[in-house]
Amino acid sequence: MKTQPRPAPRRQRWRRQKGALFAFLAAVALLLGVAVVTALIISTGVNSWQLVAMHATARTGLALSLRSMDVSQSIDGRRTFPFVTAAQVESNSQAAALGMQQGDALPHLLGRPVFSSSDVWQWVEDMPAETTALPLAWVPKAETLIGSLKAEPIPGQAGKFVIKVSKVNPGSPAEQAGLQADDVLKSAGGIPIEGARQAWQAIVIAAQRGQSPVTLTVERAGQTLELALQAERRGELPLSRNAWDAVVEFVTHLDEPRYPEHAGLASAVLGSIYVVLVTALIAVPLGLGAAIYLEEYASRNALTEVLQVVIANLAGIPSVVYGIIGLEILARVLNLGRSILAGGLTLGLLILPIMIIAAREALRAVPQWVREAAYGVGATRWQVVRHHVLPYALPGVLTGMILSLSRGIGEAAPLILLGAFLFVTYLPSSLLDTFTIVPLQIFSWATKPQPGFNTIAAAAIIVLLAMLLLMNAVAIWLRNRYQKRW
Amino acid sequence: MLSTQRLSLWYGKQQALNEVSLSFERNQVTALIGPSGCGKSTFIRSLNRMNELIPAVRTAGQVLFGGQDIYAKGVDPVEVRRWIGMVFQKPNPFPKSIYENLAFGLRINGYKQVQERVEMALRKAALWEEVKDDLHRKTGLDLSGGQQQRLCIARALAVEPQVLLMDEPCSALDPIATAKIEDLIGELKKEYTVVIVTHNMQQAARVSDYTAFFYLGKLVEFGNTQKMFETPENPQTEDYITGKFG
Repeated sequence: MKTQPRPAPRRQRWRRQKGALFAFLAAVALLLGVAVVTALIISTGVNSWQLVAMHATARTGLALSLRSMDVSQSIDGRRTFPFVTAAQVESNSQAAALGMQQGDALPHLLGRPVFSSSDVWQWVEDMPAETTALPLAWVPKAETLIGSLKAEPIPGQAGKFVIKVSKVNPGSPAEQAGLQADDVLKSAGGIPIEGARQAWQAIVIAAQRGQSPVTLTVERAGQTLELALQAERRGELPLSRNAWDAVVEFVTHLDEPRYPEHAGLASAVLGSIYVVLVTALIAVPLGLGAAIYLEEYASRNALTEVLQVVIANLAGIPSVVYGIIGLEILARVLNLGRSILAGGLTLGLLILPIMIIAAREALRAVPQWVREAAYGVGATRWQVVRHHVLPYALPGVLTGMILSLSRGIGEAAPLILLGAFLFVTYLPSSLLDTFTIVPLQIFSWATKPQPGFNTIAAAAIIVLLAMLLLMNAVAIWLRNRYQKRW
Repeated sequence: MLSTQRLSLWYGKQQALNEVSLSFERNQVTALIGPSGCGKSTFIRSLNRMNELIPAVRTAGQVLFGGQDIYAKGVDPVEVRRWIGMVFQKPNPFPKSIYENLAFGLRINGYKQVQERVEMALRKAALWEEVKDDLHRKTGLDLSGGQQQRLCIARALAVEPQVLLMDEPCSALDPIATAKIEDLIGELKKEYTVVIVTHNMQQAARVSDYTAFFYLGKLVEFGNTQKMFETPENPQTEDYITGKFG
């Protein structure tokens, strides 16, 4: 008996190192995955959590808006002073019951100055869980606080005005402080008063800087007086910080261009569902049909070889390119416009090659002996496919379909090119309606500068991921439930 | 009944069968023996046009079934397979219930009284007593290997073929299951013409009436089994039977 030739030492070393190399690559892939998930949790999870506080605040009837006051000479090195007003106070709301009106300012939350709406939401978010009321201070709007003011130009000084009280609102804090008509307002809490509207803003900023009451410097008949203006009122708003309510409101409300706490995802979610249904309707029959033809019927010849290469290449084409196809052929030539139908068909074309490839893999996984067995008892090709190959491949086919649909639902680029809207305040009701989808809504919100929109963009990302995870979970369930083991 | 005339077959450019002419007698068992790669499986699969499922297969010559060339133009291979049933090397029941395994062939061939015919076929395959309580509960894949192969035989018998082709039906089975199948073949030849490929010469001697010895794609010798095993005419046959090669 001959002895076995020993493998060369170099080969042996490679065989040992190969294992280590693959282990290393797997570890890198795993780390990358963990990093992505962590980044996602940090960037969207933490961000989106403020949604609960936003909706709790909004539920009291307030919609917050960011304003700012400008002065001609810098105070403490700044000339612009941001503050927050109640841009909307819903009637019959808790805020209205407290006496708040549209246009009132929120200078501080019991000592903590409010420079931005997100300061309010952050405060609400940071409140201990058992707290159910938000104590706050607000400065009534100018008409309520004072009455009416007028600006008179100073002769010889362009752009400079004398701010005079034309009417003091009876019963207003200004009247109580002793302000009279024809008084000239000079400054509030050290902030010069330079405009009729800016006068009230100066009072708000003074309150924001902690003055209570606000010292109002006025000129009356050549004399300078200092009046103590009780500018702010205080009260408590009942708060319910229910996360589930916030999520439900978020996904059922329509979009809102100004107030992120009122903006919702409803039309985007519905648009996404409609679009993915159209996509499935076009891509599933075509994809499955093509796969069955290529796997079960087509003989191997030059044409099918070319077809395979074309399909593989189509799967690799950037999704934007499909957007151009959708725009030119569907929206313009077929005159479908920016409709759900055009969007769904565009995404259908996009995922068709992926779907064909997935379905072919599933069909190919059905062993040849199953086909032979069926042919052996006198089945036609179609009977073999219909009764055996297709049923056995179905879990795999469905898994592939759902996974490619979930690829489609996350696409934004082709639909941007198609011209899908970024701002939709109605629910689409027919296939020819214009629409938006969740990825576009995210894009739209994420690019807005106002505070709060980044939060709802993050929340929308989580909603989108939840939709994708749901679809993928169904796919995995189907696979595990019905998968055949040969 | 069934015969081939100068049947040749090519896989692409490679010739696997070379002008094989052979005739199978009604209600007899014919065994095809020969070393691996000699073409016996290819041959049996070409008797019901099963080879056509493999791409790039080309045949020449004739296979006559009841006087009709099954490779002639206009002959539907589906119809051919329906009259010439096949049992494969590896048991290949459908992953469906035992009942459905048989009912499928019956339904697609337009049989009525499916239930009775399922029972009849299972009885013929000596499987009825073992599975009658599990017809709908167990799938074909839940059975043991021997039972699976008998289920495949029953499936082939259910559509009432005239010829039963068996491609090494016992190669994946243990001796006890093999013995059962061999007994069954003895029963089946009363009603069917049986062609069996086997690697096992003892098996060929036990079950067959006629034996054909293939070597390198050619039919070397064909004759009565007893005579062939006792006094083979061709020295190659003798070498193979006595175990000098193969």
